[in-house]
Amino acid sequence: MLEGARSRLKAWAVAGIGTAVAIAVAGVLGAFGARHEPLPVLAPASQIDTGEWLLRPLKAYVTAGKYTYGMPLKPGGKALVLEVEMTNRTAKSTKDYFDVLQASPATVDPATKPFIVLTRDSTMSPELHPGMPERMAYVWQLPNGAAAPASFDLTVIRKTYKPRDNLYGLPGWFNPMPAGTLTLPIGAGPDSTDIQP
Amino acid sequence: MMRRTANIILLLMAVLFCYGLQISKPHYGDLIGPIPARGKLGDTVVGRAFEVHAEKVEFARKLKVDQFGQQKVLTTGGVWAVVSVDFAARSESTVVSTASWRGPAGLTYDQTERLSFMNGLLPVAIDPGLPRKARLIFEVRPDETSNATLLVSEKLVAALDSQAEIALGPVAVGADGLPAGTVDTLDMLQSP
Repeated sequence: MLEGARSRLKAWAVAGIGTAVAIAVAGVLGAFGARHEPLPVLAPASQIDTGEWLLRPLKAYVTAGKYTYGMPLKPGGKALVLEVEMTNRTAKSTKDYFDVLQASPATVDPATKPFIVLTRDSTMSPELHPGMPERMAYVWQLPNGAAAPASFDLTVIRKTYKPRDNLYGLPGWFNPMPAGTLTLPIGAGPDSTDIQP
Repeated sequence: MMRRTANIILLLMAVLFCYGLQISKPHYGDLIGPIPARGKLGDTVVGRAFEVHAEKVEFARKLKVDQFGQQKVLTTGGVWAVVSVDFAARSESTVVSTASWRGPAGLTYDQTERLSFMNGLLPVAIDPGLPRKARLIFEVRPDETSNATLLVSEKLVAALDSQAEIALGPVAVGADGLPAGTVDTLDMLQSP
């Protein structure tokens, strides 16, 4: 009788310790990091570090001009323009900025890809060079008949550096993940002042 | 007991040996990387399919270019570096398509894409016996101009193919932080 109880106790203890060890190992390996945290809200007048890029939002406005930085608009259409200072923080020239900023679907049709232009001379999506800040304009075509909103939301996407990728063994930036959101006021027009110096 | 200890020691030695191999041997990316053909400014650097001879480097604050019949002046956040080069094919026609400027800190500046409308830039098609002049134009940070290396290769990913590495030598820095001899406006309409 006593013998049976002791072996049962031993079995319970082993099972309990095993479970505790399994949970601890999973925790150390980061299983609980997969929990959905709410995205941090970023200050608009700040420097945003996405790893690959340093972003400084400067201004946003809605324009109905026929050409915005050389980009033709559909007749009667409007475009949302975001001007942002971007600095390439990597060691190589790159144009990996197409997915860095995503406008909220409430303002821009998610299927609309922005034109990305260097404001210096309206070059369409040039490579940006290491350590040289450049003013870039993201131009989204707004849906027909949409009124200009007073502000809009942006999601900033960051990527992770891998010194060696799994296919070619070469360095690169992978795994896009949202880093935070920010709300930018929409100014009166192309001449509105920058929100930070 | 003796045997078990010997096994554990053997296992640890194997782990140590494998770790040593992992940290000391070149990685796949290094093994299939470009094969350097080194030289300096004024040398003719011979690669597998092309030869390149870098003649001179000029620095400028602005570039004056001709775009579809209109004159434009292009500014930059750093400084423009213009390298005049001669290309020659060795035994068959080929295309030289990429050039980069590697500064002393290891930052790599690709050829600018803001002048894609201009003649005499890469990619350049070259044929044996018909050497060609070309200009390589970079936007670089002023502190990356001295002791830089010019990298020229046929393809964007020069895996297992030659890449010319031309040492451009030291550049004196002027009082304004730009390289000495930086001109205000370089006229790209004049032939090199």
